[in-house]
Amino acid sequence: MTSIPFSHKMGAHCESGTVTSLLNHAGLTISEPMVFGIASGIFFGYFHKHKSFTFPTFIVRNRPGDIRKNIRKRLGVEFQTYSFKREQDGIAKLDELLTRGIPVASQVDFYYMDYVPSWERAHVNVHFMVVIGKEGAEYIISDSYFPKPERLNEESLRRGRFAGGNMSPKGFLFFPQDVPNEVDLKKPILKGIQKACFNMLKIPVPFVGIKGIRLFAKRVVDWPKFARDTEHLSHEVMKINILLEDQGTGGAGFRFMYATFLQQAAEIVNKPGLKDLSSELMIIGDGWREISLFAARIGKNRDLGPEKMKELSEMIMERAQVEEEFFKKLKQSIK
Amino acid sequence: MAIEPGEELKMEIKTLIMSTLNITDVDPMDVDDNEPLFGGKNAMTLDSVDGIEIIMALQREYGVRLNDQNLARNIIQSINSIAEFVAHEKAAS
Repeated sequence: MTSIPFSHKMGAHCESGTVTSLLNHAGLTISEPMVFGIASGIFFGYFHKHKSFTFPTFIVRNRPGDIRKNIRKRLGVEFQTYSFKREQDGIAKLDELLTRGIPVASQVDFYYMDYVPSWERAHVNVHFMVVIGKEGAEYIISDSYFPKPERLNEESLRRGRFAGGNMSPKGFLFFPQDVPNEVDLKKPILKGIQKACFNMLKIPVPFVGIKGIRLFAKRVVDWPKFARDTEHLSHEVMKINILLEDQGTGGAGFRFMYATFLQQAAEIVNKPGLKDLSSELMIIGDGWREISLFAARIGKNRDLGPEKMKELSEMIMERAQVEEEFFKKLKQSIK
Repeated sequence: MAIEPGEELKMEIKTLIMSTLNITDVDPMDVDDNEPLFGGKNAMTLDSVDGIEIIMALQREYGVRLNDQNLARNIIQSINSIAEFVAHEKAAS
């Protein structure tokens, strides 16, 4: 078995990049920001106490898997999915699909991807990439974080696919089975925006959307109480930078990618106002990037006294204010 | 087509990085244009936190946006790759 002819592309985010690559391979021309926007990928959630996390944290995108599920719903793409109880079944199914010439998306623990430089590896159970072939004991991987296809040995892929812990992949595989050749994107775009506005403005729980950003701003000053010591606090504060910038967010917690989506959507749905909103979101994103940098600096310098934590809190609160105004305008713009 | 950046631009970028990151103990002439800026043996010994400072400094100084972190990671690999990107963006604008 060798590599399946597959056009490898870099992407900003692993899940939207993987879904986009597979849709393009199946003949549907669509960009990654468009996939992200139609799937209502932009989000915010703050978890001060949660059984899955040992320290307060936040998310800036919808749940893993939702990109694929929303694309299925809104574009009418049928995906074949598999998850496995027994490792050998998962390995056999992947090899069988590759033999049939089908590139397959795989969910893995990022840590076991040996082609990733060691200093960038972390245990993240929801990394997605496409397996595009096998040569001897090595799989050929199209990972949207990397400029060219990479190679991964059988054992590393097995460990990545069947890693334990929170959100364990269970060997999860998927590929598009039925893809329309052409899709009218107008309705899916409007639906995607509508849902994103609902998620950010209307979900009636205090830790989601704009309310979640405000909660984050209010509670981040309490983080020192949860930390074991300064080293631990520094690590957690620096993670703000990682969560906003380093985990395939496309920059500024996905705000830049969503801005690109709005730019592209403006033409398709013939609503020029979306272009202005796109520019506005780029500037909002710059503010998130400032937060990211501030958190990285105070964490790195162990400069984590109450004044700095208060300053961080104020910066986050300001993002809540500007994002609330932004999403209200976005909601109005598509009426 | 790739645009060959001039030596002057490369020196300007080295100086910008050093002033942004407050690096005072390295001579810009000692920084190899091809040497990886991160995780390598570069004279400036940068870490990942410095990356975002460089991205923001490039945006401020040259008006070039590096929004996509994966793309950014490839571009800020070395002085040469940054200079090529800046020269390309300047030519395109």
